[in-house]
Amino acid sequence: MTESIKDKAFQGAITFILCILGIIALIPLLTVIARSFSSKAAADMNIINLWPVGFTLASWKYILSDPGLWKAFFISLSTTIIGTVLALAVTSLMAYPLSKSNFKLGQILMLYVIMTMIFKAPVVPYFLTVKGMGLFNNPLVLILPHILSAYNLAIMRTFFKQFPAEVEEAAMIDGCGYFQMLYKIVIPSSKAVLTTVGLFYAVTMWNQFQHPIMFIQKTGLFPLQLKIRQLINGGSDFANIAAVANVNYTESTLSAATVVFAIIPIIAIYPWLQKYFAKGAMLGSVKG
Amino acid sequence: MKRNKTMALVLAGVMAASALAGCGSKGVTAETSKAGTSGKTEESSAAGEKTVDLEVWYTNTGFLEVKKDGPLYNFYKDMFGVGIVSPYVEWNGGTTYQEQLNLKIAAGEAPDMFMPVNGMEADLVKNGALLDLTDLLPEKAPHLWETVPKEVWDVIRSYDPSGQGRIYMIPSVFDYPLMSAIIRQDWLDKLNLSMPETQEDFLNVLRAFKTQDPNGNGLADEIPTGGRQEARWMDYLFAMYGISMWEGFPQWDIYNGELTYSAVTPNMKDALLFIRDLYKEGLIDPETLLNDKAGWEGKINSDKVGIYYHWAQATYEYATSLESATGVRAEWAVMPPISAPGYEGFYTEKKIKGIQWVLKNTDDQEKIDAAMKVLDAYGNKDLWQKFFLGVEGEHSKMVDGKLMKLPEDKKTMENLVLQPGKDISTIDSITQLLESVKTDETAWSIDQSIANVQKMPNYGKLIAGDGMPNSVYEGYADIMNRTLYVEYASKIITGEYPIEKFDEFVQKWNASGGEAVTKAAREWYEKTQK
Repeated sequence: MTESIKDKAFQGAITFILCILGIIALIPLLTVIARSFSSKAAADMNIINLWPVGFTLASWKYILSDPGLWKAFFISLSTTIIGTVLALAVTSLMAYPLSKSNFKLGQILMLYVIMTMIFKAPVVPYFLTVKGMGLFNNPLVLILPHILSAYNLAIMRTFFKQFPAEVEEAAMIDGCGYFQMLYKIVIPSSKAVLTTVGLFYAVTMWNQFQHPIMFIQKTGLFPLQLKIRQLINGGSDFANIAAVANVNYTESTLSAATVVFAIIPIIAIYPWLQKYFAKGAMLGSVKG
Repeated sequence: MKRNKTMALVLAGVMAASALAGCGSKGVTAETSKAGTSGKTEESSAAGEKTVDLEVWYTNTGFLEVKKDGPLYNFYKDMFGVGIVSPYVEWNGGTTYQEQLNLKIAAGEAPDMFMPVNGMEADLVKNGALLDLTDLLPEKAPHLWETVPKEVWDVIRSYDPSGQGRIYMIPSVFDYPLMSAIIRQDWLDKLNLSMPETQEDFLNVLRAFKTQDPNGNGLADEIPTGGRQEARWMDYLFAMYGISMWEGFPQWDIYNGELTYSAVTPNMKDALLFIRDLYKEGLIDPETLLNDKAGWEGKINSDKVGIYYHWAQATYEYATSLESATGVRAEWAVMPPISAPGYEGFYTEKKIKGIQWVLKNTDDQEKIDAAMKVLDAYGNKDLWQKFFLGVEGEHSKMVDGKLMKLPEDKKTMENLVLQPGKDISTIDSITQLLESVKTDETAWSIDQSIANVQKMPNYGKLIAGDGMPNSVYEGYADIMNRTLYVEYASKIITGEYPIEKFDEFVQKWNASGGEAVTKAAREWYEKTQK
C-alpha cells in the first residue's frame, strides 16, 4: 500500500510520542528494580536513580527466603486461577441468555446488573453482609465477590449478540439444545472474548486489595498484595530504639524487591497471552 | 482436541482447589517453633485460674501477629497472668488501621484494648464505647497511676466531653524534651569553632560549614542546614524566636498572656524573615521545601549536612548510617537552643505524646480485672526492661551473660505490643534501653545518643498547649491541617512573597476559622487550669 509523505510523517510523529510516553512509564519501574538490587549505603544516601548502586542480592535473598512470602504467592496464584475459571464459567452462563433478544426477562435482568455497577454499597453494610455469609477469614472471600463483574458481563453479552445467528440456526436444525450450543459451538469460537475477559478477571483477582484488607485477618491467609504491604512501610518518624543490624538491606530496598516480585508474574504472562487475541476468529465459520 | 484442552483446564482447577484446601488447614509454619519459650506454660493455667485473653490492637509495621499460645503470648502470661492476643492489622500510616478498627467497632467486635488514632477516641467516649478508668486505676493499677505525672492525668480529665473529669484514656508520656538541633561536633572541632551561643555565632558557623570544606573532600558540597517539605523538621530555626513547634507543626502556647497559635504571632514574622535570609544566602538547603524524608536523610547520611533537627536519642541511627555509607565516624551533638535578639529560644517540650490505650466498655468483671493487671504491669518500672527485651531467643539474645536486644527482623519477630519503656519514657528508661542495644561495635554512636538525651532536660520548655485535643478544630479541618500556613511560610521563605504578606496571612487565618478555633482552644485551656 502506498503511503504519502504526510501519512508517513504522521505515523512517525505518533510513534515518537508513544515511545516517549513508554519511556516515561518505564522510568519508575526501572528505579524500583534498581533499588531492589542496591546496597544499604546507597539507599541511605538516596543516590539510586536508574541503575543499581552497590549491586547486591541481599534484599532478594532476604525476601525469597521468607516462607510466608511464598505461601502468599501460592494463595494469590491459586485463587486467581480458580477464580478466573469460575468467573468465566459464571459470566458466560449469564451473558449467553441475556444476549438472546427473544428472552424477555433478559431486559430487566440486564437493568439490575447495570444498576449494581452504578450504585455501590457503602462499606459498613457491605462488610456486615459478607461477614454474615461466613466469609470472614475465609480464603473464598478472595474469589466469590469477584466472580461476576457487571462490566465484563456487558462485554461478553455484546460479543455473544454479534455471534452470527446462521451458525446457531444451523446447529438447532441438527437438534442442538441451548446448553450444547453454548458449550460446543459458541465458547470454542469465542476465544478472543474469553481471553480478554479472563485477563480482566485475572488481573483484578491478582491485584485485589480492598477485600483481603477488610475480610482477612489471619496472616497465614494473606494474598501476595497484602504480604507486600506488610513489608512496605513509609518509615515513620518515631525514633525506635532498635539494635543496629549488620545487613546490606533496608526497608526501602526490601520493599522495592517485594514490589518487583509481585509484578514479575503479570509481566511474564501478558506477552504470552497476546497471541490469543486472534482477530477474525469468526471469519470462515459460516459456509455458503 | 478442544475437549482435551478444556478438560485439562478444569482438572488443573480442581488440582489447585484441593491444594488450596490443604494449604488453608496447614496453619502457621516454622515461625512459632523458632523462639525458645520461657519454660513454664501449662503449669500456670493448671493452678486453677483460667487465663483471660485480651485482644489488643497496636501499630504493626510488618511484624508477626501475636497468637494465642505463641511465645510472646506465653511470655506475657508468665509476667502478669493475662493472655495477650494481637492480630496483624495493616497500619498504612494509621488510615487502614483506623478503617479496620471502625469496621470492627461497627460490627460490635471492638478489641478489648486498643490504641486509638486520629482523635477517634473523642467520638468513642461520647458514644459510651470506652471503659471509665477513673476509679479503677488508683485501686487496681497503682503502678501506672503513680508513674504518669499528675499534670498529665489532669489533661486527660479535660478530655471528658461531659465535663465531669472522668478518665477514659491512657496517655503516652515523655518526661523530657524530645527533639533538638543536632550539629556535627567533629566539624566544629575541625574548623576550630565552638558551639554557637548567639545568633551571630550561629551564622558564622553556618558560613564556615559552607565555605571551609569540613567534610574534607575538596568539593564545596556541604549543606550547612535544612529541613523537609512544608517547612518541617527545621523547628529550631523557629525556636530561636520563641515559637513553639512540634515536628514542624506550629503549636499553641502563651503569647502576650493568652493562649495563641504560634504561627500567627509577631514571633513567626521575624522567624520567617530570618529563614528567608538564610535561604537567600544559601545557608539552608535550596531543596528544603522539596525534600521528602528519604531525600533529606539521604543528604545527612552522605556526610553533607552540618545541622539537622530530630530526636536527640536517635543520633546513633544517623551516625551508623553515615558510617556504613561513607566510612566517616560523625560526632552528632545536641546544639543548645539559641535566642534571637529580643526573644527567648527553647526546645518545645510536650509531656503528652498522644493517647496510647483505651479499653472497650464492658461489664465483664473478669475482663476488667485482667485489663487492670495488664495496665499495672505496664506501669511498673521494674518490668520495663523485660518488656523491651521481649522473648529470649526471638527478640533478644544472651551475650556474655547479658541479655541484649536483637536487630529487628520482621520475618521472625512478633509485634511487641506492650512497650512501656518507650511509651512512658523518662531519661533513665531511655538510657537503659540504649544500653541494652549497645554492642562493642556500636558503642561509639550509642554513647553519643546517651550523652545527647541526658542533656535535653536543660533545654526544654513545657508549652501550654500540651495535650490539646483535636476537638478544638472541629469544623475547621483546614486550620488543623495548617494549609494556609504552609503556603505562606513556603512562599515567604523562598522570597516569592514579601514579608508584608504575613499580615495578610494572619487576617485570612483568623477569618477562615482561626478565630473560632482560638476561642475553643482558650476554653479548653481554662478547663485544665482548674
